[in-house]
Amino acid sequence: MTKLRRMTSLQRTQQRMAVLFILPALAVYGLFVLYPLLMSLWGSFFAWKGMRTQEFAGLANFSRLFVFPSGARLYGALWHNVAWFFGIMLLQNGLGLLFAWLLFLRNRGSAFFQSVFFFPAVLSPVIVGALWRLLLAPGGIVEWALNGLGLHQGSLTVLGNSHTALGMLIAVDAWNWMGLPVLIYTAGLRQISPQVFEAAKLDGAGNARMLYSVALPLLMPALGTLTTLSFINTFNQFDIVYVMQGVQGNPSYSTDTLVTYFYRLAFGAEGAVGITDIGLALALGTMLFLVLSIGTLLMLRFFDKRTVEL
Amino acid sequence: MSAVIFPQRLARLPGWIILAVWTAAVLLPLYILVVSCFKTTAEIYDNRLGLPQSFAFDNFVRAWTRADLGHNFINSLIVTGGAVILTIVVSAMAAYPLSRYRLGWNGIMLGLFLSGIMLPIRLASVELFTLMRNLGLLDSLTGLILVYSAIRIPFAVFIFANFMRVLPSELDEAARMDGAGEARILFQIVLPMVKPAVSIVAIFTAIAVWNDFFFPLIFIFDDRYKTVPLAISVFVGQFRTDWGLVFASLAISMAPILIMYCLLARQIREGVGAGGGMK
Repeated sequence: MTKLRRMTSLQRTQQRMAVLFILPALAVYGLFVLYPLLMSLWGSFFAWKGMRTQEFAGLANFSRLFVFPSGARLYGALWHNVAWFFGIMLLQNGLGLLFAWLLFLRNRGSAFFQSVFFFPAVLSPVIVGALWRLLLAPGGIVEWALNGLGLHQGSLTVLGNSHTALGMLIAVDAWNWMGLPVLIYTAGLRQISPQVFEAAKLDGAGNARMLYSVALPLLMPALGTLTTLSFINTFNQFDIVYVMQGVQGNPSYSTDTLVTYFYRLAFGAEGAVGITDIGLALALGTMLFLVLSIGTLLMLRFFDKRTVEL
Repeated sequence: MSAVIFPQRLARLPGWIILAVWTAAVLLPLYILVVSCFKTTAEIYDNRLGLPQSFAFDNFVRAWTRADLGHNFINSLIVTGGAVILTIVVSAMAAYPLSRYRLGWNGIMLGLFLSGIMLPIRLASVELFTLMRNLGLLDSLTGLILVYSAIRIPFAVFIFANFMRVLPSELDEAARMDGAGEARILFQIVLPMVKPAVSIVAIFTAIAVWNDFFFPLIFIFDDRYKTVPLAISVFVGQFRTDWGLVFASLAISMAPILIMYCLLARQIREGVGAGGGMK
C-alpha cells in the first residue's frame, strides 16, 4: 500500500518535473520556429499592405503567383530547382557512390580520403561560393589553367553566361557536399555482412556487378536518406546563388531559385527599387512548404518499400 | 576481405587514380586559397600556382583591421558559443524526462520536437522578422542566439533522447534513493554518461551556426553586429579587385572550422555516417 502511494507520488513529481524541464526548449522552439511558421501559412491567405495584413483573400495570392508578372519567375525558379536536384543526384550522389565503393574495396587510406572529401562540407556555403567565384572569374586560375592546357581560349565567362552559370553552381554545390554521400554510403556498406559479398564473389560476380546487383539494393536506406536530404537542400538553395550570382540569380535570372525569389518578394530586391510583396512571398512559402513536406513523405515511403532485409 | 574480392594489384590502379583526382579537386582550390593570401594581386596574376615570394601577413592585417573582420569574428564567436550552450542545456533538459520518465505523453511531445528537424524555417522568415522586430531583437546577437537555438533544438533533442534512452534505469533510481534532485541527476549523472551525444550536438550546432548567412542577412543591419559569413558576402563585392584581401578574409573565416575539423575529423565522420547529422 505504501509502495503504491510512493509510486504515484513519484509519478506526480515526474509529471511536474517533466513540464518544468521541457518548458524552456518548447518555449524557444515554439516561439521562434513553430509560431512564425504557422503564422506564415495562415498569412498567405490574406491580402497584405507592406508588412500589415488586410482582409482575408482566400487563394488570391496563390493565383497571382502563377500569372504575369510572377509566373515567369516562378516557373523559371522551379525549373532551376528541379534541374539542381537531378544534377546533384547525378554528380554528387552518383559520383559519391563510386568514391564510397572504391574506398570500401580498399583497406588502406579510407579514413584519410573520407576526411579530405568531407572537408568542404564543414565550410560555409558563403566561403565556398566566394572561393569558386574568384577561381572561375575572368582572369582567374581556372581560365589560366584551361588556356594553358589548350582546352579553352580567351576569357572564361562561365558564370556570366546564362547557358552555363546554373551548371557551374550545381557543380560547386556538388563539390561542397561530396563528402556527405561518401560518408553515408560507406557507413551503409560497412553494415552489409561480408558473407554476402563473398557469396557473390564465389558466384563469379565482378566488382561492377557486385556494386550494382548486391550492394545497391542493400544501400536503399542510405540512398533514401541522401535523396531526401538533397531534395530538401536543393529546394532551400540560396547561399551559393546569392554569393556567386547575386540575389537576382544573374545573368538575367538564369540561376534564380525559389528561395532567392522568395527572398526578393519578402525583403525587397525585385527590380532596382526593392519593392516587397508579402502576400506573394507567403503564398510562395506555403507552396514550397507543401512541396517539401509532401515530397519528403513520398520519398521516405518510396525508399522504405524498397528496403531489402537480409 | 577486400583482398579476397579484388586480388590483382594492377587492377586497382584506375580506382586509385579516380580517388586521387577528386582529392586534388578538393585540395588544389584550398591550396590556391592559402598561397594567394600571402600574395599581392599582381603576384596572384604572375605566379598562379607557386609559393609566394615572401610570407607577408599584409593581407591578413588589412582584412583584420581595414575590413574590420576582427569585429565580425568576435560576433560570430559569441553567437556560436551562445547558441551551442543554450541548445545543449535546454535540449538535454527536455530530452531527459521525454526519454526516461513514463509520462503518457512522451511520444506526442517527442514527435512535436522531431517534426522540426525537417521544417523549412527560412520560409517563415517574414513572420520571424516581424516577431523579432516586436521583441526588439533585430540588430542583436541575443536574437541570433535564440533563433539558432530554436532551429537546432529538434536535432539536439533527438540525439540526446536516443542516447539517454539506453542508459540503465538503475542509474537514476539509485541516485533518487540517495535523495538527489532531478536537476542534479540530469546534470551530474545522466549528462556525463552521454558525452558522445554532447559532442555530436556541440560540433554540428557550432558548424551550422558559424556558417549560417541567411539569418544575419535578414536580422542584422548595423555593421557592429555582423557575423563573419555576412561580412564576407559584402567583401566579395566590395573588394572585388583586391584578390589578396578577399582570399585572406576567406582564410581567416575558415580558420576556426579548419582547426576544429583537424582535431575532430573522426567524430565528425562517425556522426555524419551514423545519421546524416548535418544539413
